[in-house]
Amino acid sequence: MTGLVYKEWKQNRWYILSMILCGAAPLLVLLFFHSQISDIGEAPLRIGGLIAGFLTAGALQMLVLRGDDRKLWGYWITATPDGYNGFLRVKYEMIFAMIVLFLFTLQCVDRGYCAFAADMGNTEVAEISGIAVLLCFVQILLRAIDIPFVYRFGSKKGSFVKLICMIVLTIILLALLFLNIDRLDTFFDSCKKVFSVQNSPLILSVGLVLCLALYYISYRITCRLYLKGVEQYDR
Amino acid sequence: MTAKKECAKRLGIYLLIVFAFMLFYILCAKLMHQSHTVYYIIYMIFSFSPAIASLITRAVTKEGFRDMKLHLHLTGNIRYYLLSFGLPLICLSSMFLLPVIVSGHADWLGGFTFGNVLSNAFLLISFSAVQSIGLLGEELGWRGYMNQKMEPLLGTVGTCLVGGIVWGLWHFPMDISGYLDGNSTFSEVLVSTFGRLAMLTCFGTFLIWLTKKTDSVFPAVIAHFMYNQSQFTLTELLYMGNISEDISLPLWTDILRYIPTLIIAVIFIILLLRDKKKDIKDNIATI
Repeated sequence: MTGLVYKEWKQNRWYILSMILCGAAPLLVLLFFHSQISDIGEAPLRIGGLIAGFLTAGALQMLVLRGDDRKLWGYWITATPDGYNGFLRVKYEMIFAMIVLFLFTLQCVDRGYCAFAADMGNTEVAEISGIAVLLCFVQILLRAIDIPFVYRFGSKKGSFVKLICMIVLTIILLALLFLNIDRLDTFFDSCKKVFSVQNSPLILSVGLVLCLALYYISYRITCRLYLKGVEQYDR
Repeated sequence: MTAKKECAKRLGIYLLIVFAFMLFYILCAKLMHQSHTVYYIIYMIFSFSPAIASLITRAVTKEGFRDMKLHLHLTGNIRYYLLSFGLPLICLSSMFLLPVIVSGHADWLGGFTFGNVLSNAFLLISFSAVQSIGLLGEELGWRGYMNQKMEPLLGTVGTCLVGGIVWGLWHFPMDISGYLDGNSTFSEVLVSTFGRLAMLTCFGTFLIWLTKKTDSVFPAVIAHFMYNQSQFTLTELLYMGNISEDISLPLWTDILRYIPTLIIAVIFIILLLRDKKKDIKDNIATI
């Protein structure tokens, strides 16, 4: 396993370390626009920076999946003692570690900024890392969907197939919506009842645990699909 | 140099560095009181001091950076990971709820509805998976380095006791900060220091057991996070129960707070000793 971790580190260390920069994005945005900032709190700009960092981090996390969609590599890794399960496990762990590193940097930078703002006399500056935690779970969910497609169809074809699946899913949902347009009010009423003030913390917490569970299920699915995908890879 | 002497030398250097950081924190207390930024920076450095100390010791003694227990080792160890999520939560819940129930104030637990408890438990579990990494700064030093060096010198029980005391003492600057700020009396500082020493020494045995079983510091990181955060969550839930401010629990109930961690300490010391005996037997059988 150490060998696989070493391989991933050598191959993707810049992508991994770039998570630190993505986490510092809210601060970088503030530094970039410092001449236009009147209030040190400037929450919209910081949240904008956070979203920019989140999107960049997501794109970089996908880049670490490139380069391994080769037939020879697929067969070779299957023949090693760790097998393709070990290889995929290290990939999943690495992407999870990237998300954690992104969140950790973001929280450190954000708390540091709030402390600095308090020293400047503004003790009311609120931390934005609360939103970041939820965004990280979104990132975990998105990666749980992305990775099986990449390993089943290769990185280029995989994103295309995923796009088609998403479009098909959207069309189905829209069709269902239009077919039941007269029952829409009942649907929204029941949604309001489910997502009430009392229920929302429970739904949120269950959703977060589900994201983690889905990430694990995604790993198991990728393990099942990997060898089928290898057959379709280029040499 | 014999292996024991080598361990003692490394342990000595490690502890010197860790307590130098502690001294630095105490010396900077006045400066930290004046500026939020300085407080934040010094606090962050201090939180990571055990890990920094272990890295410096490894570099200085030319020990190298192998066996830092940084692999997750998930395969076959899922049950230990699950235990690292669950046991601190159960332990802390009993620590908080036992004194309240025994002293006949079960009516204070109005906030502990099924929905509240479930949502908070799920939130803690999910947050610990992504947010606990900050505690690697402590665990890499205490469980990942100090205990490894201590065990050949002091044995398993000695490591649990002395390791726990060192871990508790390291928190002393945090306990004394209230006194230095003028917010608490010295006797309150002493109570919190000795309370923490007892709690951490007991809870540390579970973390040592987890690290030895999985050969990874990550379950200990998760358990440590759960231990810390459960306290906030349980306090919040208690405050939801409309407890008036002038009411307090009888003094004798304080002893009850230590019982759950004491039980954990006894159980895991027994398990550690049993595993050690088994290892010795296996080694003899191999020879």
